[in-house]
Amino acid sequence: MGLRQYLLKRLVHSVFVMLFVVTVVFFAVRSIPGDPARLMLGGDADPEALEALRAELGLNEPLYVQYFQWLRRLLTGDFGESIRTGEPVLGSLVQVAGPTLSIAMLGMVIALVIAIPTGIVSSVKRYEIEDYLSTTIAFFGISMPAFWIGIVLILVVGVNVDAIPTFGYTPINEGVGPWLRSILLPAIAVGFPYGGILMRMMRSSMLEVLNEDYMRTARAKGLTSNLVLFKHGLQNALIPVVTLAGIFLAVVLGGVVAVEIVFGIRGIGRLLIGSINRRDFPLIQGTVLIVSFVFVLANIVVDLLYTMINPRIKYGGGE
Amino acid sequence: MTVSSRFDTDGGRVFGLRTDLIEQFIGTVNRDLKAKLGVVIVTLFVIAAIFAPELAPYDPMAQDFAPLQAPALSSETPLGTDSFGRDLLSRLMYGARISLGVGLGAVLFGAISGVLLGLIAGFYGGWIDDLLMRGVDVMWAFPWLLIAIMLVAVFGQGVWNVIVAVGFAYIDDFARITRGEVLSIREEEYVLAAESVGLGDLEIVFEEVFPNTVAPIIVQFTVLVARAMLAEATLSFLGLGVKPSTPTWGALLGQGRDFITTAWWISILPGVLIMITVLGINLFGDALRDAFDVREVDSE
Repeated sequence: MGLRQYLLKRLVHSVFVMLFVVTVVFFAVRSIPGDPARLMLGGDADPEALEALRAELGLNEPLYVQYFQWLRRLLTGDFGESIRTGEPVLGSLVQVAGPTLSIAMLGMVIALVIAIPTGIVSSVKRYEIEDYLSTTIAFFGISMPAFWIGIVLILVVGVNVDAIPTFGYTPINEGVGPWLRSILLPAIAVGFPYGGILMRMMRSSMLEVLNEDYMRTARAKGLTSNLVLFKHGLQNALIPVVTLAGIFLAVVLGGVVAVEIVFGIRGIGRLLIGSINRRDFPLIQGTVLIVSFVFVLANIVVDLLYTMINPRIKYGGGE
Repeated sequence: MTVSSRFDTDGGRVFGLRTDLIEQFIGTVNRDLKAKLGVVIVTLFVIAAIFAPELAPYDPMAQDFAPLQAPALSSETPLGTDSFGRDLLSRLMYGARISLGVGLGAVLFGAISGVLLGLIAGFYGGWIDDLLMRGVDVMWAFPWLLIAIMLVAVFGQGVWNVIVAVGFAYIDDFARITRGEVLSIREEEYVLAAESVGLGDLEIVFEEVFPNTVAPIIVQFTVLVARAMLAEATLSFLGLGVKPSTPTWGALLGQGRDFITTAWWISILPGVLIMITVLGINLFGDALRDAFDVREVDSE
């Protein structure tokens, strides 16, 4: 299968994933008990006003009509308006996406920069002090919820180091320094569990590669260990890590939601939790949808990286 | 991999698991300090959870301790009290019940659904396999916390809803592993033998195929229990877990957050417990993986 065919197949698959997400989200959200019109106007609103509002929001139409209307609007890029504020969903999301993306990105960078080298060192120095130390730290990483790491960081670092704020977010256009400082602790909280997972994968993948015949052959040929390691080993060891790195992005995503709450940052996580509490249907739908979309997209990107690392891969051939 | 079935004479089984694997596990625990630690932590946790009503010094809901937010190591309340003056140790012990219950329940839900799907897909192959596994693939690209948050938001808080919401995300893991195992043993002689003597599909699947897929499933089960407990803690922390009044580790942690500078122990202690327990379960899972010689999970 050629690259183009493979990408096409992946895109079609992604469309199905998104359609599934859209459908599940729509029907799930519509079965939340509670009438949004009543929630907006309050318990003692008069029936006529309630009725008018329901008609205006399209809540009186049969469910499947609402579903197809919504689908059609989605296709034209219209994610609806928040029932509460009347603002377009997409706009509200774009407003709060900055902090969430910043935290997630920096968290991933921290995780990768730490996990990949330690994973390699750990595998090369197996059963030595370096290995024990880094596997133990990684173990702690995968055993702590991100939001708790955040709380501990606030208590330990935030309270003692004045330069690092523990609350709120500074946009990047107010200066790179303040921006970095404002997302540093949340990013560590999000990145640590992800780094733990990556490090363990890197280590076991590298261990497997080190035992392969071609590695022994290379060493027997007289190539020095380090050269063998990087030229032959690393490339092959990275393959499974990269594939799974995409899937475990969900860990980062999940972490960000709760970490935003801890650090009082108005990001997508806070928007989502807030919209659930207010039964703001379009906002919940839009948020879950756009986040899933980004997630699916990230996985396609990871797939492309995968083929770049190993040009010999047969697209879609693996079972 | 050695296999056993009615058409094969080696070794006995306990709950479908070959006894030689159990012996290997005991061997690993004897050899490996980390495995020992894992077993000890898991045992303590399970005892605390099961016997919380007998072991807890106070009623976890009783608010009759005069000092609110009493610090740890005070005479009457060993781990202090929360902001309502409730005994923290008792609340943590009851919290262990929720963590264990939801953790096991969620993974059990995922395992039963996933293993069934995987057995059917792997055993029958063809279009059934295609259909089921494409469905499972769709689930793969789904951010789990969003599913869980949404499901709890939709169906309301409560133990069962949290169990299903969290467990949903694990169906595809089990389906994929089981299918892979089934495919690798589908053409083994003892399965073919069972078919040739005219056993029915169900009998073959459950008596011959399933028992030989047990080891990797148990390993995955253990690892996911740890992850499910973290998920439950996160949901509870967000106020989307079991009912707000129920003491759970995640909820205690969330409630203590407001007093972090004045009474840090209220949110730090539950966090430490979550960490130690999850660590213990992960160590336990690693020991099982070593003993059963199961590779770290690969995607396909």
